[in-house]
Amino acid sequence: MDINDRKRFKMNLQRYYYLLMILGMFFLAACYFLGVRYIIRNVEGKESENKEGSKHYVAMITKSTTSSFWKSVFAGANAASTEYNLTITMDGPENEEDFQTQNQMIEEAVENGAEVIVFSAVDFHANREAIDKAAEKGVKIVVIDSDVNSDKVSCRISTDNYQAGRMAGAAVLSSEEDELNVGIVNFDKNSANGQQREKGFRDELANDTRVRIVDAINVLSTTEDSLEGTCQMLEEHPEINVIATFNEWTSLGVGYAIEELGLAEETMVVAFDSNVVSVGMLEAGEVDALIVQNPYAMGYLGVECAYNLINALPVEASQVDTATTVITRENMFDEECQKVLFVFD
Amino acid sequence: MRKGKQKSRISISILMTSVVVGLVLTALLAVLLFSAQLYENSVEQNARISSEQAVVQVVNTVENYIENMAEDMELISGYMRNSEEERDEFFQSFMEIRSDVVAVMTYDKEGALADCWSNGRKQKEQILKDLSYIDSSKEGVLSISKPHVESLFEEYYPWVVTISQKMKDQTGKDLQVFMDIRFSKITHYVDDVGIGQHGYCFIEDTDGNLVYHPQQQLIYSGLKEEMTKEIHSLSDGSHTRSNVIYTIRTLENCNWRIVGVSYVDELITGRVENMMRICGILLLLVFLTAILIGILFSRMFAKPANRLTKAMGEFEKDAENFQFVPVQGTREISYLSSSFGHMVVRIQQLMEQVREEEISLRKTELNALQSQINPHFLYNTLDSIAWMCEEERTKEAVEMVNALARLFRISISKGHELITLEKELQHAQSYLKIQNYRYKNQFTYEFDVDKSCLSYLCNKITLQPIIENAIYHGIDRMVDEGRIEIKILEEEDAILMVVTDNGVGMSREQCAEILHREAGDRTGIGIKNVNDRIQIYFGEEYGLHITSELDVGTTVEIRIPKIQEGDYGHK
Repeated sequence: MDINDRKRFKMNLQRYYYLLMILGMFFLAACYFLGVRYIIRNVEGKESENKEGSKHYVAMITKSTTSSFWKSVFAGANAASTEYNLTITMDGPENEEDFQTQNQMIEEAVENGAEVIVFSAVDFHANREAIDKAAEKGVKIVVIDSDVNSDKVSCRISTDNYQAGRMAGAAVLSSEEDELNVGIVNFDKNSANGQQREKGFRDELANDTRVRIVDAINVLSTTEDSLEGTCQMLEEHPEINVIATFNEWTSLGVGYAIEELGLAEETMVVAFDSNVVSVGMLEAGEVDALIVQNPYAMGYLGVECAYNLINALPVEASQVDTATTVITRENMFDEECQKVLFVFD
Repeated sequence: MRKGKQKSRISISILMTSVVVGLVLTALLAVLLFSAQLYENSVEQNARISSEQAVVQVVNTVENYIENMAEDMELISGYMRNSEEERDEFFQSFMEIRSDVVAVMTYDKEGALADCWSNGRKQKEQILKDLSYIDSSKEGVLSISKPHVESLFEEYYPWVVTISQKMKDQTGKDLQVFMDIRFSKITHYVDDVGIGQHGYCFIEDTDGNLVYHPQQQLIYSGLKEEMTKEIHSLSDGSHTRSNVIYTIRTLENCNWRIVGVSYVDELITGRVENMMRICGILLLLVFLTAILIGILFSRMFAKPANRLTKAMGEFEKDAENFQFVPVQGTREISYLSSSFGHMVVRIQQLMEQVREEEISLRKTELNALQSQINPHFLYNTLDSIAWMCEEERTKEAVEMVNALARLFRISISKGHELITLEKELQHAQSYLKIQNYRYKNQFTYEFDVDKSCLSYLCNKITLQPIIENAIYHGIDRMVDEGRIEIKILEEEDAILMVVTDNGVGMSREQCAEILHREAGDRTGIGIKNVNDRIQIYFGEEYGLHITSELDVGTTVEIRIPKIQEGDYGHK
């Protein structure tokens, strides 16, 4: 009996052993395969994610698409979108007063699944509703260049327009004339940055006794309208010997007007932004100082900020100021100014 | 206390699990650190090599390009000596073919612009500043300028690099020939060179000025910085600064340097992370395995060992009634278990043997006591008989002698311990008869016997000591006539013998004492002896029970089992 018991007991034990061993081996093998599959899937998944498909979409909606200022913005945006692997579309209305088209573009961008809209407002107030609506649908808003009256904006990247206006004013005050009769040619009254620049300009001039602001006009943001407006202003007020103007198109208009009227010598022109033509005018003497912004940086930083928002990375600041430089005939071919003034193609 | 100690010790399965996990963890960590180091080194090595390869390719391409430019320059220089028409014609076609050449200029010794050819560009009437002109160094040596903006033409400001050479024209005058080039061919090539995921190449001159950078615009806009100053101080070759590898090569035919920038960490960290993940999974597997082993171990070893320990503890507490169930487990455990089983059986056998030996020893002792005859009793009785003979009470003397003889015969009973109740009663009667003579009928006695009980067995000399006690301690001190009643009753599974006297009685303490006191000199076999014998033979549940009341009397109940002749043998 005793021996039988022990035999049976031994057999039980061995059965236990084998059962446990086999179970354990199966378990380990299963774990191993699952682990390897997990790793492979992970690695492949990451790569495929990087390659195609789930690229994030950023829509850039600007005031205009034709000026070299905006082309430079687009160049910067393109550089950033390549670097950060984003899909980007760039669009803007044909004229710089058309906020309805802009609002429509915002809606379209939201419908197309944009995660971030990089926006430059035509109208400080009229664009508000469309931007708020987009923000409500979860789209993040980054403003570049020109602000919109909305508190849904995550980040604003622009020239410090007031400061730029003051710089323009300082350029005027560097004149050695005894009397400075100033005419202002500004663009659309509803555009925030034009108003800020003009305010900065006026504040800078306020304390100088030589200065008298003779006239201030608002024209459409086109060369033709500006040319017409300037000629009219100069006819009405022939005493004007300083003209300040605040964006690329109005600068060209003023430049052409001066050229037409042959007042290059007599009149000091402080203009904004640069393109091939305005640089030529600066060199030739129709324009005496250019306040040059950094549109490339605006585009680049705007898209970089969009990338940070998409990936929930910290955004450096809610307000980023890009650099502004004053270019005159004397310093235009300095090495640093060359870099600012001339786009590298 | 012992239990507490046991608890504080670690279970072997936990120990086993933690040892396995610990060992594997250490080994894995060591391997991981070692291989990560190795891997990092080899990755860095690879990165250096690929960076160097890329840079060398760029160097070759740029050198070729510059060589082409030098050849062009030679060609142009050759045409400088030709007639004006031939020269204009040549430049016309040259400019058309070479779209990357913006302009070719000649300057006189003082640096005044002499001639300028371009592809249909309108030269400015008044040149504010001529950025292309640099007072180039030696004659016959090709020099390359820093990149600058072309400032000679109206509304045309491309970024160019100027190549210049001093020479003499056909008349022997000093002449400087300049060529402004948009170096798009090189830039596109440099743009396309990638090293690793984010690495790139750029060109600087030997003074540390940037010639071309793929992210030139970013740098010019102040959004990105290149460590040009630091790189400028580095010699040709590969240099690692924190996690960036700079590979630098200086061109042979000009003062440009090609710099390759690649990042080590992005290559490594990704893969090391992957490795970490694999290790994590491995660790998890090991942990699970260890747990499995732990469970297995506990099944095989720890649990049976515990069961065995518990069994031992139980055995310790109650050795007699312990029933051992074999414990299953590993071979070692089963050996232990069976050995313990054998030990238990052996110990129980030994215990039984010891008890039996003790009982037989006691029996022998008691038997020896029984066979003793109280000398006082014998002497007194014989004295009484002598008196009877002297007084010629022959009949009574005969009866006395007969009673005494019966008493002794039954006492001896051929050495048997158990005798029938009938004989025991005869023994008691004989004793009472003798005592009654001796006490001159101071007491009366009466038997009330259930006849069916007579054939049952009982220990011999059971009633006599009780009666003796009743006479000596109860009736002897009485003034009135004493009375002793002896009853034999049959109960369901026992026989009850009751001896009642009406003597002085005993206190409760005396009752208790009497069962524990050894027999004295005067008395024969003590009451204790009776009780002991009954209990040794039949067990604890049988024996004497005494109830007594002072001045009323004493009742002794003796309970024995129902045993017939021949029944006792196997007990």
